[in-house]
Amino acid sequence: MTLEHDLAGGAHVGVDVLVDPDLCIGSGDCVRLVPGAFQIDEDQGVSVPQDGAATADIDLLVRAAQGCPTQAIRVVRDGAVLHASN
Amino acid sequence: MGELLTEFPATVVLDRYDEIREALFNPNLSRTFDSRSYAEGNIRDGVVSISHGPVHRARRRIENTQFRPDVLRLYERDLFPTVLDGLLDVLIDAPTVDIFPVAELLSVVLAARRAGIDVDDSDLDQLRELVHYVDVFSQGSAILDAKDPEAVRQMVYEGYDAFERDWVRPSWDRRADLIERHRRGKIGDEDLPHDILAVLLVHRDDPKLELDDTGRVVREVATYLQGGTHTSAQTLVNALDLIFDQPAAGELVQRCAGDLLFSQRVIHETLRLRPTTPRIRRRAEADTVVAGRAVPRNGLVILDAIAGNRDAGLFGPNPESFDPERSVDPSVARWGLSFGAGAHQCPGRSVGGGFPIPADGHADEEHIYGLVALELRAVCARGVQPDPAGQPERDTRTERFTRWAHYPVRFERWHDPA
Repeated sequence: MTLEHDLAGGAHVGVDVLVDPDLCIGSGDCVRLVPGAFQIDEDQGVSVPQDGAATADIDLLVRAAQGCPTQAIRVVRDGAVLHASN
Repeated sequence: MGELLTEFPATVVLDRYDEIREALFNPNLSRTFDSRSYAEGNIRDGVVSISHGPVHRARRRIENTQFRPDVLRLYERDLFPTVLDGLLDVLIDAPTVDIFPVAELLSVVLAARRAGIDVDDSDLDQLRELVHYVDVFSQGSAILDAKDPEAVRQMVYEGYDAFERDWVRPSWDRRADLIERHRRGKIGDEDLPHDILAVLLVHRDDPKLELDDTGRVVREVATYLQGGTHTSAQTLVNALDLIFDQPAAGELVQRCAGDLLFSQRVIHETLRLRPTTPRIRRRAEADTVVAGRAVPRNGLVILDAIAGNRDAGLFGPNPESFDPERSVDPSVARWGLSFGAGAHQCPGRSVGGGFPIPADGHADEEHIYGLVALELRAVCARGVQPDPAGQPERDTRTERFTRWAHYPVRFERWHDPA
C-alpha cells in the first residue's frame, strides 16, 4: 500500500509499505511487532499491509522489515528503501 | 540420483553475531546437504526444515497457522497448566528423580497435539512410546553431528515405519474422515482439528507443497513432534544446570517459583548460552557472498552460534556468564541466534520461549511466557535442587554438548503415591 497522507495528520509522506506475497511465509512477526500495520490473510497465509501503517512508528516498520524471516517487507520513502540490510 | 555432500569446495566459518545473522537471511544458503531420495538414504527427504525456496515457503505458510497468538494462549493458559500439574504429581513420586525424562514427558503432550498425533495425556505408557520416537528422530535430525551416522540412519528408517503404522495412520484416518465430512458440509470449521497433520491433509492436493508422497507427510509430522519435545526438554534441563551452577542457586529457584517473567528470562538466557544447535551449517545453492566473503556453489558455511551469542557488544560485559537480567537492546533477541533467523527460524520459538521480554519489564495480558518457563516455574515450586548423590550424564551419541541423557535432582516437595 502507498501512504500519501499529510505529516500533520501523523502519517508519513510518500512512504510505501509493501509485502511480497511470493516471499512471505506468514510468520506473523510483523503483526506482533506493529499490530495495526499488518494483518495475516489466513486464506493465503501471508501478511498484508493495513491502513494502520500510515500512522505506525516508522522505526517499528523498519524493524519489522529487517526482522522479516524472508525479507518480504519493504519500507520505501521517496523511492529509497529504508532498510538496507537485516 | 541425488548425493550426500561430505566434501566441499570451500568452508567458511563465521562467529560474529551480525555475520551469522546475515548468513541466516541469505536466500542462497540452504540446509540441504543430502539431495538423495528417502529410498536412497536421505532420512529427512522433503521435511520442511531442510527444504528450500518455494516449497519451503509454501509449507511454512500453512504450518505457521498453528503458531498464531490465539493458539499459543489456548495452549499456555487453558491446556498446559492442567496437564503440567497432573503429570508432575504422577512423575515426581519420590524425593530423587531423573528430570530429563520428566521434561520429555511434559513436552511431548503438547508437541503431539500440535503435530496431530492423538494420544491419551494420562497414559504414561503411550507418552513414553512417543518419547522413544522423539529420541530416534532427534538423532536423525542431528545426523550431521552423529558419531555413527549409518547406525542412526537404520534406526530412523525403522522408527518411521513403526511410527507411521502405530501413530500417524490412526490419527490420519480420523482427520481424513473429518475433513471429508467438512467438505460435504456435515460439520463446521470448529469441528476440524487444528494441528499440523490436519492442515497438511487439507492442503495436500496443492502441488506447491510436494506432499504427494505419504512418507513425506509422516516425516513432517515427526519433525514437529520431535522439535516440539526435544528442544523444550533439553532447555529445561540446561536451565536447571545453569541455575545450580550459581552461588545463589536457592534464591534463583525461589524467584523462578514465584515470578513467571523471571522464569522466562532464565529460559532466554539458557537458550543464549546453550543453543540446541551450537554449530549451524548451511550450503551455498549458488555462488554467493556472505559477510563480505565469497562462497562458491556447494561451499559449506559454518555458523558458530556459541560465539555469536556471546557478543559483548550486544549482550554486555561478561557475555559468557549466566545473567537472566542482563540488559539487551529490544531489537536484539535475548536468546541470541538459538532459534535461528531468516526463513528457517524455528516456527515453535514462541511455543517454547514465548514472546520477547517487554522492554519495560512488565508483561501485559497478551504476553506469552512460553511452555518451558511454565515447566521451570512448576519444578521450582516443588523445591528442585541438585541431587548430591547423582551424577548428570550428557548424551554421548552426539557432538552437541548441550544435550543431556540423565539429570538426577531432588525435590523438597513431592507426591507420595502411598
